[in-house]
Amino acid sequence: MAGICRIRLAEERKQWRKDHPFGFYAKPAKAADGSMNLMEWEVGIPGKAGTSWEGGVFKLNMTFPEDYPTKPPKCKFTPALFHPNVYPSGTVCLSILDEEKSWKPSITIKQILLGIQDLLTDPNVHDPAQSDAYTMFKNDKAAYERRIKQQARENVPK
Amino acid sequence: MSTKASSRSTHVEAILGRDLYAQVRNVKLLLVGAGGIGCELLKNIVLTGFGDITLLDLDTIDLSNLNRQFLFRKKDVKQSKALVAARTAQQFNPSVRITPIHANIKEPQFDVAWFRQFHIVLNALDNLDARRHVNKMCLAAAVPLVESGTAGYLGQVQPILKDRTECFDCMPKPIPKTFPVCTIRSTPSQPIHCIVWAKSYLIPQLFGEDEDGGDELDEAEKQGENAEKIANLRKEAQAFTAVRNALRSGSHPKPNGSTTRSRSKKANPNGDAAQLVFNKVFEADIQNLLSMSDMWSNRAPPVPLNYHEILNDSFVLPNHPETDAATSNGPFVPQNKAHTNGHNVPNASSSSTASGSGGAGLKDQRELTLRENLELFIHSTNRLSMRLNSGEDTISFDKDDDDTLDFVTAAANLRAAAYGIGGKSRWEVKEMAGNIIPAIATTNAVISGAIVLQALHLLRKNYGGLRNIHLQLKPEVPLNGSSVGAPAPECGVCRDTYVELLCDPSRVTLGEAIERILGDGDDEGTGPRDVSVYEDKRILSDPDFDDNLERTLESLGVTRGKFLTIVDEDGEWGNVAVAIGVLPPNHPPNGPALIPPFPLPKPPRLSKPTPPPLTPNTPPRKRTASVMGGDDDIEHVAPPPKRTKTGMPHINMASPSKKKRLEDEGLLIVENPDEKVDDEPELITIDD
Repeated sequence: MAGICRIRLAEERKQWRKDHPFGFYAKPAKAADGSMNLMEWEVGIPGKAGTSWEGGVFKLNMTFPEDYPTKPPKCKFTPALFHPNVYPSGTVCLSILDEEKSWKPSITIKQILLGIQDLLTDPNVHDPAQSDAYTMFKNDKAAYERRIKQQARENVPK
Repeated sequence: MSTKASSRSTHVEAILGRDLYAQVRNVKLLLVGAGGIGCELLKNIVLTGFGDITLLDLDTIDLSNLNRQFLFRKKDVKQSKALVAARTAQQFNPSVRITPIHANIKEPQFDVAWFRQFHIVLNALDNLDARRHVNKMCLAAAVPLVESGTAGYLGQVQPILKDRTECFDCMPKPIPKTFPVCTIRSTPSQPIHCIVWAKSYLIPQLFGEDEDGGDELDEAEKQGENAEKIANLRKEAQAFTAVRNALRSGSHPKPNGSTTRSRSKKANPNGDAAQLVFNKVFEADIQNLLSMSDMWSNRAPPVPLNYHEILNDSFVLPNHPETDAATSNGPFVPQNKAHTNGHNVPNASSSSTASGSGGAGLKDQRELTLRENLELFIHSTNRLSMRLNSGEDTISFDKDDDDTLDFVTAAANLRAAAYGIGGKSRWEVKEMAGNIIPAIATTNAVISGAIVLQALHLLRKNYGGLRNIHLQLKPEVPLNGSSVGAPAPECGVCRDTYVELLCDPSRVTLGEAIERILGDGDDEGTGPRDVSVYEDKRILSDPDFDDNLERTLESLGVTRGKFLTIVDEDGEWGNVAVAIGVLPPNHPPNGPALIPPFPLPKPPRLSKPTPPPLTPNTPPRKRTASVMGGDDDIEHVAPPPKRTKTGMPHINMASPSKKKRLEDEGLLIVENPDEKVDDEPELITIDD
């Protein structure tokens, strides 16, 4: 592993431990051997208050490549989410997570999570990743909102 | 020394001078790698008279090595490279001692103490991982290293000495190109996108581990999540599951003439696994993509393919603009009877390369017609399916595995056809999917010469003579030497303070090890402080995570050859890298379980970080693109320096308030950027 990757992730963890946005969590995943894996993080993103997403906390895995931060982490909702920009596998399609588009090494984990939180309420119809959510979002906003509210209820943290 | 040996050394002695030659005779040298560079270099150092050479390589000789690894002959194929190279080179100069080792340099017995026995280490490696490892071991053992690599006509040599020069990891390395998931899964625009899709998405989906989260869905359902939603996701996952099952059920027809075991189930054309796969990925999935109309508002939409129509030559691709260019040479125009008349899939054997008839020579180098691609797809799918049925759990892409290469060739070309992108021959697909860069003997020879010169500077401690050498494609300066840089202050490898902890990892706890390394701070060490402790990418402990402090190093997998990295929580001290070594042989069995380093490490005091700049946002420093290859049939090639964006990205924000918000967070979302991908060869990896 390039030294820069560990240094950066260690710093990200330290910063997150000191301060992070309300309602979010993010921590390296615990491995079977009792250590934590710096390259795999488990995070939770709360739906924004005042939207159909309110109340839910959506679980997501972040996988950091060896070349992070030159390359962005892969973000995958587990389980997959009903949302136009989330692939059926759960992978998030977002420009700031795309090294060909807007990814920059200076983007922090906090910024990524806030960006994904924004995406929840503001789908980008030009980059659909699943047809179910996309079609419903385009054709029947009311049903879409109902569905999102239902999904938020299912993801209320216990 | 015999008269003969003296006369052999006469010229070398005259060139090096008596003193340096005497020194060279007594040098204990480690050469890591006996491949393309290694063979040239071994010849050089043997003739120079280096008296005690240890040669290590984990590989065995392959037929394709013989064109340039001249210490090997055809009779040596399949034997250890290190052993054969040592035996051959020994004859060049009987007065030197060569100790060959057939092993992986990363094995634990090659620990810091082992490296420390050498006066100098020369790298002749072919992969980044081993280079990083040797770099780190040499830093930990304070042994000078000469690093090198070649790729095609390009080559480089880098002398490395701790605290004096940059180390191998001071400069970011060119990174193998990857493509965004959207481009690969939904909107390919180049042949390479289709190849990556076939190799890295489709093969794992069909023949790899079942990772599509069936379990996750079951779990979600158990937790009472919305049944309808789950059903939808499951439908997606199950579409692949059905195909995967078909591939594993053996319910497909045997390829004609195949000699593999008979199968109980009868061939059933409707259950043909290859057709199921085809209908899912080239028809249904594409139709599904088409239903998302916004995606195609300013892109050419793909065309679903039809299995039977392609097979009976009645399928017609509409002409998108791109297709015109792509098909000018015919590959995807089914009407082009000149190319579609053949059933080119050889029926002879299930393991033969099925790619083509073409009759003469270069059969791999011809582009296939749409129908030929489909036939190759069917045939290779059946062969892979048969392998699953014969007991292989998973199959992943390997450029030397003809079945997977045929499958990737056919699947990529079919997808390319659906998207109006030009096809590629099997030969080209092998090169692109396998990231193959040719190795050139002359490059290796030039670089090997430069390695010896840099090694001599290091041995003489003539540090002013050290140069980074580049062999490059500039006619006016084909061979360039540039001064070596100082260590990068932020380097995560060579700025660490290295110490060695000799211990019995089964009797030492993590907490104990940390405590002993930090010391009491009175006269040595830094004293107790808040630290995080890592082993490679694993966090073993930090101030909020102390679960492991009572566990032994062994139970945490921290054993001989591994490093503990101790990072100061407040950023006031430099990092300490603790190499784990074994207790000396004469250590009493009932003696202490560990021998701390003496003196205890005193890493440099860092200036109190002004709120640590979280982001080393500086773009990675770049110099001439380094060549990462070593030599072997395949190598790493440096990608071209990051292309500079032409102009500002096209920003098209959904709403001003959103834009403002994102800008506040330092984010901007770019929609529909014109996709730009360069065609330059990306540098990459790989070899056996």
